[in-house]
Amino acid sequence: MTTNAAKLMKGNEAIAEAAIRAGCQAYFGYPITPQNEIPDYMAKWLPKAGGVFLQAESELAAINMVYGAAGAGSRVMTSSSSPGISLMQEGLSYIACAELPCVVINMVRSGPGLGGILPAQSDYFQAVKGGGHGDYKLLVLAPATVQEAVDITYASFQLAEKYRNPVMILGDGLLGQMMESVTLPKVESPPSPPDWATTGRQKGKPRIINSLYIEGDVMEKRNQHIFAKYAHMAEDEVRFEKYHTDGARLLVAAYGSTARIAKTAIDRARAEGIPVGLFRPISLYPFPNDALRKAAAEARVVLTLEMSMGQMVDDVRLSLEGRVPVVFYGRTGGVVPTPKEILKELHRVWENRA
Amino acid sequence: MALPDLAKKPVRFIGGHRACAGCGFPITIKIILQAAENPVIVGCATGCMEVTSTIYPYTSWECSFIHSAFENVAATVSGIEAAYTSLKRQGRIDKDITFIAFGGDGGTYDIGLQALSGALERGHKMVYVCYDNQGYMNTGIQRSSATPRGANTTTSPAGKKVPGKQQYPKDLTAIVAAHGIPYAAQSSMSHWNDLYRKAKKAFAADGPAFLNVLSTCRLGWGTAPEDTVDVADGAVQSRLWPLYEIEKGKWKLSLKPRRHYPVEKWMSMQGRFRHLFNPQKNETFIEEIQSQVDAKWEELVRRCSAET
Repeated sequence: MTTNAAKLMKGNEAIAEAAIRAGCQAYFGYPITPQNEIPDYMAKWLPKAGGVFLQAESELAAINMVYGAAGAGSRVMTSSSSPGISLMQEGLSYIACAELPCVVINMVRSGPGLGGILPAQSDYFQAVKGGGHGDYKLLVLAPATVQEAVDITYASFQLAEKYRNPVMILGDGLLGQMMESVTLPKVESPPSPPDWATTGRQKGKPRIINSLYIEGDVMEKRNQHIFAKYAHMAEDEVRFEKYHTDGARLLVAAYGSTARIAKTAIDRARAEGIPVGLFRPISLYPFPNDALRKAAAEARVVLTLEMSMGQMVDDVRLSLEGRVPVVFYGRTGGVVPTPKEILKELHRVWENRA
Repeated sequence: MALPDLAKKPVRFIGGHRACAGCGFPITIKIILQAAENPVIVGCATGCMEVTSTIYPYTSWECSFIHSAFENVAATVSGIEAAYTSLKRQGRIDKDITFIAFGGDGGTYDIGLQALSGALERGHKMVYVCYDNQGYMNTGIQRSSATPRGANTTTSPAGKKVPGKQQYPKDLTAIVAAHGIPYAAQSSMSHWNDLYRKAKKAFAADGPAFLNVLSTCRLGWGTAPEDTVDVADGAVQSRLWPLYEIEKGKWKLSLKPRRHYPVEKWMSMQGRFRHLFNPQKNETFIEEIQSQVDAKWEELVRRCSAET
């Protein structure tokens, strides 16, 4: 694939192609539905682009292969879906503490447990609150279209390198499985290994990648150092979309697939005269707190929509600090809400506003 | 045991499941469960078997059934067996119960190997059955460490330079036998009598027992539904999948194929090896596989004759 003309691609394959074009040099993964097209595509095309594809014996192995390759200075990624991402949490905690860049894609499916293979947004907390043990965060980005997934994937490697921190792309089965028209970015050459990579000291100081700090004050300094980066992220990496938020008296907060379904319902509600708008966080961590507060400035009520029992709604409430009542509507288990259903909810919330 | 007698045994894995026409595992499970005399508790790892036979509110299992994640069925059944042993010691249960863990090759050779090894070492009285269909078939045909060299899968794609999977499969039965458990065996769904007999022995073993059963996947192997049994038989006849058992440390061949049956013949029956024959035959590669199969067979025969 060399041309830049728009083409019809499945979400998972488009993401894989975007990663190859971003100069991804190594992919490690393990089969799980609904993201198998990513490893399948990588197995076929990444070696042709000069990279390495390896299927691990488990997600535990895959994330630790990522750890090793990232330490060696390689542009590296993995992908999985919810239960597999759960198995990667220990590795992600180590990678964050050791300050290594990598990209992790989670095509979320319904849970808990084995759950189902249908789309869900129930891994929000796991993605944005740390997920594994210890004090750390992932930079979490949530695309809503295949094109946005391509653009975010393409940008995510450099973001990971900028902060030396894992970036997670939080999609869902819907985004991974649907086909949409995409324009692919240009092919980028992978960079040379950074000066911290364990490629030999080259007359400089020894290069050490570590996540073990026995002394309390040293570990504390590490935590503070990592969190200084997160403060920096909160300044520079906040992303969101506003849709008819000016003068919105009913504000909907939704991300990913749910947000695009909400747009259809919002269009219909606006045609009926309901002053409703949408605020769509794209960066889930750092969460767009200030932007959401501004968007909700004239709102009488904020409705959070998710394909979960209510997770992002907590961050919406924290952002708004009690200024506006926040209500929630969610579908779970892989059930995708329809525009009609959301419209009904918009009516209910608008009619019952304080 | 004659076939009509087997037909009289109660069936604990019943029809109505959603496995593909020509799938090998329902045959495998049915025969194994028919060999069980006691009430049975089954643990099942994630995979085709669990997905197609337990879609709520339906089930094909005429016994107690618990599902686990992909990597831990041996641990889940360890827990059940440990609880049972404790309850029995306390006098709160008196029944004899048989515990079976089922996993595919992905859940056994790869992600579940650690849990399996732990269970074998601790010595839980359970029968672990690996239905080996040589790949991750439930997720759309990816390679596993049981996939034969040369097979085309989505993650070991056959191309101009690389003719499918590059590695030979892991010898899991030998790995399991190295734990020194009372009984381990390799069987195939094509040999019902061998499978039934080995299941009986496994259930009677005083400690952990293990069965590694070759089970055709017609989608992943690229075979016709009606050829399921013949293809599994071809693996046995070609000596790629020998039938043998290790009883209290003694290795014993269960079947010595009489005629020479080249691995090539077995491979040519399956779509996943098509690239080795078309557009032209990859002689050197096929010969290399044949010599590896011969060497493994000779090693097995040596092991078996040394023990007798």
